[in-house]
Amino acid sequence: MRKANLWVAVFLFVIGAIVMYDSVRLGFRWQPGFGPGAGYLPFYLSLGVLVCTGIFIVKQIRQLSKVGIVGDKRLIREGGLKPILWVLIPSTVMVILVYIWGLHLAAAIYLVFYMREVGKIGWLETALVGVLFPIGMYVVFDRLFLIPLPGGILGTYIKIPF
Amino acid sequence: MAENFSNLMMGISVSMQPYNFMVAMIGLVLGVIVGVLPGLGGANGVAILIPLTVAMQPVSGIILLASIYWGALYGGSITSILFNIPGEPWSVATTFDGYPMAKKGHAGRALVLSFFSHFAGAVLGVVMLSFFAPVIAGFALRFGPAEIFSVMVLTFSAFVGLGGKDPLKTCVSIFLGFILSCVGMDIVTGQLRLTYGSIDLMGGFNFIVAVIGLFGLGEIFLTVEEGLKLESTAGGKVTFKDMAWGIKEIIIEWKALLLGCVIGCWMGLKPGGATPASFMAYGFAKQGHKKSAEFGHGASAGIIAPESAAHGAGTSAALPMITLGIPGSPTMAVIMGGLMIFGLLPGPMLFREHADFVWGFIGSCWIGNFIGLFVVLAFAPIFAAVLKIRFAIIMPIIVYVCAIGAYAVNNRMIDIYYMIGFGVVGYLFKKLDYPLAPLVLALVLGDMAESALRQALLISGGNPIVLFQPPIAMPIMAVAIIIFFWPSISGIIKKRRIKVGPG
Repeated sequence: MRKANLWVAVFLFVIGAIVMYDSVRLGFRWQPGFGPGAGYLPFYLSLGVLVCTGIFIVKQIRQLSKVGIVGDKRLIREGGLKPILWVLIPSTVMVILVYIWGLHLAAAIYLVFYMREVGKIGWLETALVGVLFPIGMYVVFDRLFLIPLPGGILGTYIKIPF
Repeated sequence: MAENFSNLMMGISVSMQPYNFMVAMIGLVLGVIVGVLPGLGGANGVAILIPLTVAMQPVSGIILLASIYWGALYGGSITSILFNIPGEPWSVATTFDGYPMAKKGHAGRALVLSFFSHFAGAVLGVVMLSFFAPVIAGFALRFGPAEIFSVMVLTFSAFVGLGGKDPLKTCVSIFLGFILSCVGMDIVTGQLRLTYGSIDLMGGFNFIVAVIGLFGLGEIFLTVEEGLKLESTAGGKVTFKDMAWGIKEIIIEWKALLLGCVIGCWMGLKPGGATPASFMAYGFAKQGHKKSAEFGHGASAGIIAPESAAHGAGTSAALPMITLGIPGSPTMAVIMGGLMIFGLLPGPMLFREHADFVWGFIGSCWIGNFIGLFVVLAFAPIFAAVLKIRFAIIMPIIVYVCAIGAYAVNNRMIDIYYMIGFGVVGYLFKKLDYPLAPLVLALVLGDMAESALRQALLISGGNPIVLFQPPIAMPIMAVAIIIFFWPSISGIIKKRRIKVGPG
């Protein structure tokens, strides 16, 4: 956890630096006859991030050099990474598939995949949820409330008739 | 006063109209389900359903969103008591005594105590909302940009000083939220900020997407990492005998109830909200109680105090939102986002210009919390059964619904990608103890804070002293500074006392 704390702080420090770079470009000073420049607030915000994470990094390094990582809790519980990746990777793949097949079809595939592969749920149950739930969502959002959800490339060719 | 009362009656009659009543019922049922399911909380439950309200009248829309919140407040404790799994963060304190009581075979009694305490907390919160909101709004009409900015400083310093997390991490969280709100076109100069030449970043970050990612996906990652174990205690059915017992017990433990309500309403007014309120109430109730040894083994007061505090905080969080435009909790921030979609800007002017709307909302707080009590009392076992559906089915459905919610806010594909990114950030921040609520609130209030600051500086010609001008801004800023340094101040006071006291 201590190492992860350090790395996240370093990452946020870098973000602060990137933001500061852009706010200097925009102009953070008082512009006569106009008022504060567009970079005024971002500059001080990034300064805040740099100072806070900077202090934190120094503290963290001192602590690490003093006590080391012995007896530290892990960031992710032992055996915890696998289930997380089992959620993260399929979800990401689903989101990418939305571009091709549209949200509902991609979600249906995702539902079936997750229930079968991770949940080891019977085919009948899987098929029922995987088919009926997306149809229900389609009816509620696209038809009843007229909120167009992404149809993907496929959706522009196939029109659902009801 | 009389005028307020007649306004309130009008508001209640608005929320009793058949359509609005139906909307409130749907919202409550959905809210309880959201509250029962771990990984789907009040904030992102409301966020996902915001797109549905666009087609409604503003009053009906806000009633739907608020009812989901009331439902989630009630529902979170059902699973805490029956399964030892807090459905919501504010019901963690309920597991300490609620689950032991249910394990002894008194699940019905524990549920009754919890629901009635919720209701009591709600009543005090709504009373405050009905009678203080007009007063505060009237006062806030005198606020200029400097005063508005000072109130925001107060809000965020409360996170740092009273949030109980590492002050450095809280500050970073606040700054990051404001930075995210800066991305895109600058409203004053029209320049593109922090986009680094990318067209996608021009649209900026929508806070609803951030809420869905941070609280929705992040929570799911945490849940699957821990692995969900169900240790069900039997039943969850509430009988009339249980109800009679519960009412008697609440009357006996009136002190714990009052303590919970007051702490809850106080904590709800300033950001931080329901979760710390419930822990604080539990601690105080345990300290002052005659039978404090019973706590942790199914003491009634151990259920009453945190539950009434949680609901009191949840309801009174609406007060700063509706009067000042500064939400007291992430969920209220999302509800406020819903109002903005209707073109209603919360704040003192809302009372003047859209009085019917404001009083409709306050009326629905009365009605919603009242019906909510009956809904959970009657159907608690049915809602508890939701959790018996296997998580491998629930989980992908939640992700799917989150994706719909994220997309439908702006009809942008990129928002779904952001949602996944925010999910990973939410998981890391939760694990490393960076608070998420200030980040979300900063993202919501970013534009308003920045324009208030710039206007104030323009008025003064660039002199920052304007932010400390008497009579209103100065005391608010002073309080903000005291609260910001409160942990160190209270430390010094304690040291002094020890020196002076026994020596």
